Amino acid sequence: MSAASTTDKTDYRTTGTGWANAWKIAAGVGALGLAGAGAGFAADAQRFSFSYLFAFFVFLTISIGATFFVLLQHLTNAGWSVTVRRTAEFFMSALPIFALLFLPIAANLDHLLPWWNADHGAHHAPAAAGEHGDAHAPVVPETPHGDTAHPAPEHGGHGQHVAGHRMSDDQIEHSLHAEVMASKAWYLSKGFFAVRAVIYFLFWTFLALKLFRNSTLQDSTRDLKLTASSQAMAPAATFGLALTTTFAVFDWMMSLLPNWYSTIFGVQLFSTTMVAILSVLVLVSYAMRASGVSGSAITTEHFHDLGKLLFGFNVFWAYISFSQFFLIWYASIPEETVFFHLRWSNGPWKTISLAILFLHFVVPFALLLSRNTKRYAGQKVLAFAAGLLLTMHVVEMYWEVLPNYAAQRGIGPHTAESLAPHWMDLACLLGVGGVYLAAVFYRMSQHPVVPVGDPRFARSKRFQNA
Amino acid sequence: MSVETTTVSVPEGRPALLLAEYETPGACMKAAEKLRDAGFTKFDTHTPFPIHGMDAAMGMGDSKLGWIVLVMGITGLMTGIALITYANGIDYPIIVGGKPAISIPAYVPVCFELTILLSAFGAVFGMFGLNQLPRHHHPVFESDRFKAATDDKFFVSVEYADPKFDADRTPELIASTHPNHIEIIEDTES
Repeated sequence: MSAASTTDKTDYRTTGTGWANAWKIAAGVGALGLAGAGAGFAADAQRFSFSYLFAFFVFLTISIGATFFVLLQHLTNAGWSVTVRRTAEFFMSALPIFALLFLPIAANLDHLLPWWNADHGAHHAPAAAGEHGDAHAPVVPETPHGDTAHPAPEHGGHGQHVAGHRMSDDQIEHSLHAEVMASKAWYLSKGFFAVRAVIYFLFWTFLALKLFRNSTLQDSTRDLKLTASSQAMAPAATFGLALTTTFAVFDWMMSLLPNWYSTIFGVQLFSTTMVAILSVLVLVSYAMRASGVSGSAITTEHFHDLGKLLFGFNVFWAYISFSQFFLIWYASIPEETVFFHLRWSNGPWKTISLAILFLHFVVPFALLLSRNTKRYAGQKVLAFAAGLLLTMHVVEMYWEVLPNYAAQRGIGPHTAESLAPHWMDLACLLGVGGVYLAAVFYRMSQHPVVPVGDPRFARSKRFQNA
Repeated sequence: MSVETTTVSVPEGRPALLLAEYETPGACMKAAEKLRDAGFTKFDTHTPFPIHGMDAAMGMGDSKLGWIVLVMGITGLMTGIALITYANGIDYPIIVGGKPAISIPAYVPVCFELTILLSAFGAVFGMFGLNQLPRHHHPVFESDRFKAATDDKFFVSVEYADPKFDADRTPELIASTHPNHIEIIEDTES
């Protein structure tokens, strides 16, 4: 059995292969994309903000997912995954760069978050536009209800007779929203928001750099203490990453629709991060094996297990996504239904919702169910399913972010204009993705593509599913 | 080839076996490969722990269990759809929460649970069926030495019922794989 490791002469470095220069290409694409995005910003700052936030989330989720994946391996002292863990570590190691990539978002929060410039947070609930904002009765952020005309939040929602006259339905609804917004005002405040963002990025930067350093330092030192160090921090770090991820998506994605409630939203985004990184791991491992850079270190057995995890986490994603939809659908409470009103009303976004249902769940489920597709025929079916899931990941992030753009501009979800793809979407995707992947591929060009110093490395190469 | 061979008799009518004991998992696996290459199909290995690669060494194909689970899962899904359609849509339609009597989201939990339930039944009972379980007795238990199969020895058993089995040549084949010991568990009356 040891003969296999001696005949495997590769040093697992990207030197002399296309991988070594991939970061330059990514950087070039990123620069072009950012230039385009900059031009877009000059033309339409609000549209740019939404396109950029969408692109930011596409890649942030991949990077956070990579960190979860690495932590999971340390948490379970996993031996099988050692040879594929380094790929995840590359995608994790560029997590700090999102602190820089966040700056355009930080500068445009007034375009994104309806509550950002609300004087009390309580008196404007513009995102309620989607609620009754169809083609016939769009309610724009600057609603005609004068601030002085409607009751104070503490009275809203109780008696329908205020100041001696009967309130209209709109006024009642508005005052209900005002009450909801007043109850969230302590959380959705500028100072607290900024403090939280700083905490997320500090924590993520520490985590990504520490785990990456522990692993790459071990390539040369073979120090067992480094493995012990990563394993010791894994439990607390997993809690920390779960909490920061949850609150980050509350802050940057959910508060686009500030009067909306969904307690499962953080878990939903967590499942998305895992599907995204597992798809990336399958595709990158596939390409590394094809180019020979990973030698014999990544085998059918690793693809089989990555495929099992991808299948499992995609089912988990579907389960959580449906749970969110199902409870909102059954309860039919306006503060909750507004999210699906924007995405499930008869209109262009419903088509996207159905595409996500079938192409993010039904088709990949069928493709990944069989053991054979994960093991045989060179894993072509597995790679195809991973490519499909990664594409649908991009669509899903678009679906999460962009309906809010139409809603905030008072465009009802029944109208064709509510879904209006823009060239800036692509420019931002290339810009953010180029910068992120340049950082990832640069790391890849500096280190072996598998953790050669890990004590379980040889065992991982021989690993077999029973 | 001189390997110590003993014979254990079993009551008439019970299947007969040739049982070889090995010191190491490697030797056990080599014996399995040799039997596989010689075309044997009715043989088994008995080891204290799972040995990676043994399935391939024994020439076992992929398990058919997945197909049983798939059929049971689809049956569960269809049962769920039929149950909800009949109960909510035909037999006793009640409007709850303003939802139509037949509304697809309400199907999902029931269909999901029934799919899982019947798949799990398919997996458990299908496994029993494929392994011919429950089985209260097996000729290997006639051997005293076989008790070490749960401790530190590795065994290969070949059934007399195998079409390739030959009372003279098969023990020779086994002897050539260097077992510690060979036991012939057979019906000595016949």
